[in-house]
Amino acid sequence: MSNDSPLKAILVVFIVALVCSIMVSVAAVSLRPYQLAHQIFNRAEHIVKLADLMPANTDTLSKKDLMDIFLQLDARVIDIDTGRFEKNLNPLTFDQRKAAASLGHYVTIPAEYDVAHLGRRSQFATIYLVWDGEQIKRIIFPIHGQGMWSTIYGYIALQADLNTIAAVTFYEQGETPGLGTQIQLPGWQSKWQGRQLWDGTGELRFRIATERVVPESMAARYEVDGLSGATVTASGVTNLMHYWFGEHGFQPFLRYLSETPPIRANN
Amino acid sequence: MTMRDVLFDPLVNKNPITFQVLGICSALAITNSLLSALVMGLSVTAVLAFSNMSISLIRHHLPSSVRLIVQITIIASAVIIVDELLKAFLPETARILSVYVGLIVTNCIVLGRAETFAMQNPVGVSVLDGIGNGLGFSMILIIVATIRELFGSGSLMGVSILPLVADNGWYVPNEMLLLPPSAFFIIGFLIWIIRSWKTEQIEQIDSLPIPNRTTEAE
Repeated sequence: MSNDSPLKAILVVFIVALVCSIMVSVAAVSLRPYQLAHQIFNRAEHIVKLADLMPANTDTLSKKDLMDIFLQLDARVIDIDTGRFEKNLNPLTFDQRKAAASLGHYVTIPAEYDVAHLGRRSQFATIYLVWDGEQIKRIIFPIHGQGMWSTIYGYIALQADLNTIAAVTFYEQGETPGLGTQIQLPGWQSKWQGRQLWDGTGELRFRIATERVVPESMAARYEVDGLSGATVTASGVTNLMHYWFGEHGFQPFLRYLSETPPIRANN
Repeated sequence: MTMRDVLFDPLVNKNPITFQVLGICSALAITNSLLSALVMGLSVTAVLAFSNMSISLIRHHLPSSVRLIVQITIIASAVIIVDELLKAFLPETARILSVYVGLIVTNCIVLGRAETFAMQNPVGVSVLDGIGNGLGFSMILIIVATIRELFGSGSLMGVSILPLVADNGWYVPNEMLLLPPSAFFIIGFLIWIIRSWKTEQIEQIDSLPIPNRTTEAE
């Protein structure tokens, strides 16, 4: 068959497309378990760090040890809308991201609340209670929101006063390498520690500053230094914090929690 | 041209970055750490070798009307497979490189080698040409990344070499080196050095754009 015939062109394109799609599918399907295992392990590692339960010497820590520590945590599913615990869902298997995408499990976010540009979110979320004896030490919340190019996923740990940030982490993002990706640097994340979300009047003041924070200023208590070259990513982070700790986010749950302190579950 | 030339010419004599000035975008973006540069170089080399091989294999059966579409399909598939492999076995690095692995598709070197070499040459040499160009690309990436990471963060492969003032050391890092424009200057200097050594690489006055020639005439 001549190379100039249209039939040959269609045939060649079809065969190449078929072979390529088979190769890509095989690669994607066969590598999926490895990627999934990394994902689960990676997320457990972030949460254990936020819970402040990471052993001092991590050199000898095996993946199994880490998963054991993770599974000891008091994980609970909450209904974000009502702010109550949801006992019918298993916190270990509940997948917030899947729920946000499946019919009947997501809530459309009203435009006036949607500062993080999410469109919709899952009705439920898995949170982690970190206990110190009978007292709550930290509470870990999942957070996500739109950055510059991608959705940024992270966790934030609040102290028992439900206002002071204990630690933060961002475990998944597709921001500009070297600029927006700086949100993953431990040095920057450590600047969140001790910052507060609300001021005395109940106004949500927390934000990533666009300029350097003056340490002595009144605002310094609520602000984290911005990242040079990553203004859009940083404001995305501010927005997602304002969404998740706003009225449509975890505020109903935080109110419920301050009125009715939870009791430590017996394992 | 011997096999040896095909493999080693792209290192200095016909380096894709410094001689052909292709693939600059990723060379600027991911060279602020040596590890990223190594993984990126390796990924591009693998994609180049694979795409050159496949395109050379079917070169006699490629109607010119759909030539580019077929080439891009093959290149894009190779890139997706490399991306999936990185996510499965080097998840940390894959996270740092993020979108730039996917963007190998748009790296002019890959399509350039497919069009100018693999379309005219047998499979064996085409693979060598792909590997050679991948190595030439990697070499420049490694040089740029070594300079940027060492003087920008005081470390290499994440291991501290020059102790930073921030960690009670003595070295004040040049943070400009961490920003993409610095790679422009480093690549510029590399091109200057290579062309001072290999003067045959300097463009003839005839090939310069016209405005420059009139300035020359004045």
